[in-house]
Amino acid sequence: MDDAALDALLADVAGTTAAPGDDLMARIMADAETAMVRPAPVATAGEAARDAGLFAGLWAALGGWAGTSGLAAAAVAGVWLGFAPPESLSGVSEFIWGQSESVSLFASEDVLGLEG
Amino acid sequence: MPVKDLRSTTTTEATPDGALLVAYANGDLSAAQELTRRLAPRVLAQATKMLADRTEAEDVTQEALMRLWKIAPDWRQGEAEVSTWLYRVVANMCTDRLRRRARGVALDAIAEPEDGSPSVADQMQDNARRKALSDALAQLPERQAQAVSLRHLEGLSNPDIAEVMQIGVEAVESLTARGKRALAALLAGRKNELGYRDD
Repeated sequence: MDDAALDALLADVAGTTAAPGDDLMARIMADAETAMVRPAPVATAGEAARDAGLFAGLWAALGGWAGTSGLAAAAVAGVWLGFAPPESLSGVSEFIWGQSESVSLFASEDVLGLEG
Repeated sequence: MPVKDLRSTTTTEATPDGALLVAYANGDLSAAQELTRRLAPRVLAQATKMLADRTEAEDVTQEALMRLWKIAPDWRQGEAEVSTWLYRVVANMCTDRLRRRARGVALDAIAEPEDGSPSVADQMQDNARRKALSDALAQLPERQAQAVSLRHLEGLSNPDIAEVMQIGVEAVESLTARGKRALAALLAGRKNELGYRDD
């Protein structure tokens, strides 16, 4: 095809008109409505607490103030029992671990001469 | 189903496309309707000229505008023209479809003009010309097909095409020239058949 005929063909096709029908316009508007980004809903108090972060989640898992108070009390009691076990427990510990022997971590002699 | 008139006082004829798109992103559906009224006819025409298929062209129009709605929240006014962006999206979508079509269509199978009454024959001639050009565009490298269609079917200037295709003006000139030469070769021998007689 020569240049003149090709130019005529391109010009003919360039003159094509295409008016969108109501159906196409309605489909496009339906898409616009669907794709529209809605404002994010305001979080409720419960959702806000849930979203407060990892610490809040951990706090809630431990039972809040009541749960963590009990946990702290149990920890303190455990430390105390380790430091000063009551007499009633000595028989139990001997039964489990055998004969116990006390070892002083401090030198028996007054190395530093603090006792005069 | 007719589209409801949602136009409001915030969307006037003078409002730029970009401002309407931002208004839509902010929840103004009437801005989308004004954009659709402005842009859909041009998008449909561009797709129809390249594809020579009304149904496919409507699909491209709907999909191109859907992409526009989706990009709206990220649109930055002043950085790009909505029309330029749409020319690019539609040209890409059309050459994608032409490429798929080219896999299944041999050039020998390009539509032939058919017999009929004069008015029907004229219509068929027009259809055959559009189909012949579309099928020939499908045989071109994509960038050549886009440059030729934007220059000769949409009537854009070379600097405008350069912006749409995001290349230099010289590259546009080269693509257009090579594309036209390739089209002439693909359509060789079909001049009389498509109704272009020697004067």
